[in-house]
Amino acid sequence: MTTAHTNTMHTEVGSLEVTDSSARQIKATIRDVSKVYRGRTQVPALDNVDAHIYDGEFLTIVGPSGCGKSTLLRMINGLQRPSEGAVEISKSSTDRPLTSMVFQDYSVYPWMNVFDNVSLGLARSGLPKPEKHSRVRVWLDRLDLGKFESAYPSELSGGMLQRVAIARALVAEPEILLMDEPFAALDAQLRRRLQEELLEIVGDAGRTVVFVTHSLEEAILLGDRVLVMSARPGRIVDSVDIPFDRPRDPELRKSPEFRDLEERLWLMLKEHATATA
Amino acid sequence: MSRQNTVLAIATPVFFLVLWELAALLGLIDTRFFPAPSSIARTGVNLVQDGVLLESLAVTLRTLMVGLIVGNVIGTVVGVSMGLIRPLRASLDPLLSGLYTVPKLAILPLLLLMLGLGEMPRVIVVAIGSFFIAWISMIEATMGIAHGYLETAESLELTRSQRLRLVIFPAVLPEYFVGLRIAVGNAVLLIVGVEFVMGGSGIGSMIWNSWQIFATERMYAGIVCVGLLGYVLTKLVKMIARVAVPWSPKSTSRRR
Ligand SMILES: Nc1ncnc2c1ncn2[C@@H]1O[C@H](COP(=O)(O)OP(=O)(O)OP(=O)(O)O)[C@@H](O)[C@H]1O
Ligand SMILES: [Mg+2]
Repeated sequence: MTTAHTNTMHTEVGSLEVTDSSARQIKATIRDVSKVYRGRTQVPALDNVDAHIYDGEFLTIVGPSGCGKSTLLRMINGLQRPSEGAVEISKSSTDRPLTSMVFQDYSVYPWMNVFDNVSLGLARSGLPKPEKHSRVRVWLDRLDLGKFESAYPSELSGGMLQRVAIARALVAEPEILLMDEPFAALDAQLRRRLQEELLEIVGDAGRTVVFVTHSLEEAILLGDRVLVMSARPGRIVDSVDIPFDRPRDPELRKSPEFRDLEERLWLMLKEHATATA
Repeated sequence: MSRQNTVLAIATPVFFLVLWELAALLGLIDTRFFPAPSSIARTGVNLVQDGVLLESLAVTLRTLMVGLIVGNVIGTVVGVSMGLIRPLRASLDPLLSGLYTVPKLAILPLLLLMLGLGEMPRVIVVAIGSFFIAWISMIEATMGIAHGYLETAESLELTRSQRLRLVIFPAVLPEYFVGLRIAVGNAVLLIVGVEFVMGGSGIGSMIWNSWQIFATERMYAGIVCVGLLGYVLTKLVKMIARVAVPWSPKSTSRRR
């Protein structure tokens, strides 16, 4: 039994492992991971989750509330250890962090202005100050935060705050970007705008992203692949490839193919929505 | 609205002072106990002019500040450490919680017994009172830091010192200043109490002595002076807090 959260250098990206040119490089492996929270009662949160994250893919995860999606992300981020199994991430660079996480809330510190909050993403980078500053500025501008760099979070709207959180995660150029329902607290309109912005940011750089959401529409619009999870304790029900080309037009939502996919995922979720434990 | 508040805040006490003055003039109250405000003021001015009042004030202020700062610093360090380190909390919390309820003035005789009549026992009483207020407010504040803030710090892989400096200290800072304000009021209370008992040249003993020699005006002047001392110190803490906690929504909305 392996109980360690291991971030081993277990494959080198660009190594000779690829034999079939269409095969996708594996960036991370979630190997038979189970998680039991031990408190007054034992809560089994994840049950034998087995999955790959491919290099450069946008993976979305959907599942009923409480099925362990956040738990899974936390394990990839190294915030929690699996009770059983292991998470293995292949490291391809020494000066980029393996992962960084965008939380749903409480992640932007109210006592720091926007600039300092975003700079925190580079707190452990060891970069010289001028370099840090210019990288922070780049991401502030990309997320339309340039004018607000000295504003405190209490002066910003919810959408702005989430942009700050995203900028902070991206400024570190993580090998895997983890996002835990980052848009859940936003109203529909803002949500769409940020989805579009994210599509743009992700589209150009081949980033590896794991994105948890409650919205099937969001999962399909953003994802190359959707992992569907069962109710608690969470298992992987299926992995569904999303065939749409990038760059994606948000108008895609209205196409019949999109609607069909949504219907299919919804039926899958419904079938596994009742808790088994 | 806020100007109206200011007017009311000034007008109300002025009204009562005028009422008092009139009552004293007309002989409606016993001026042996309630001398007219004008005669209190006159005595006050005299006391200031011959330097007595300021000297007493300086003596009191020195003891108060030393005790307050020492107690506050130690209480803050202990409170934050206990909030962060579970074993420390487990071992010290029952003891300190038990001692917390002991009235601080009640240990003065013990301190006199141990340390004699010098400056030390006075400082220590103030320090102990200040310690407990800082301790209790900082342990609560530290344990009350939203879990998400700490998890974010962990996710960002901040070092221990970065976590303290960038997350924990600023997170508890607003409550630190609330505690400090309470501590200031409490310290004034304690030092006056100590000076009542121990005498000396502080403002508390001036008030106490005035009672004994029936110098009512002098007594009132001393009371007003102590009141002002507490007021000014509290105001000062508020001002520092406003500068030190610039992110608080209240101060930003005020700026707007
Ligand atoms: N620290 C914890 N201690 C005990 N139980 C926990 C803890 N964190 C989560 N759980 C439980 O584990 C289960 C999975 O939690 P998790 O937050 O991963 O679910 P989720 O899929 O992210 O839910 P949601 O969709 O509501 O965000 C839930 O039943 C939750 O109550
Ligand atoms: Mg969650």
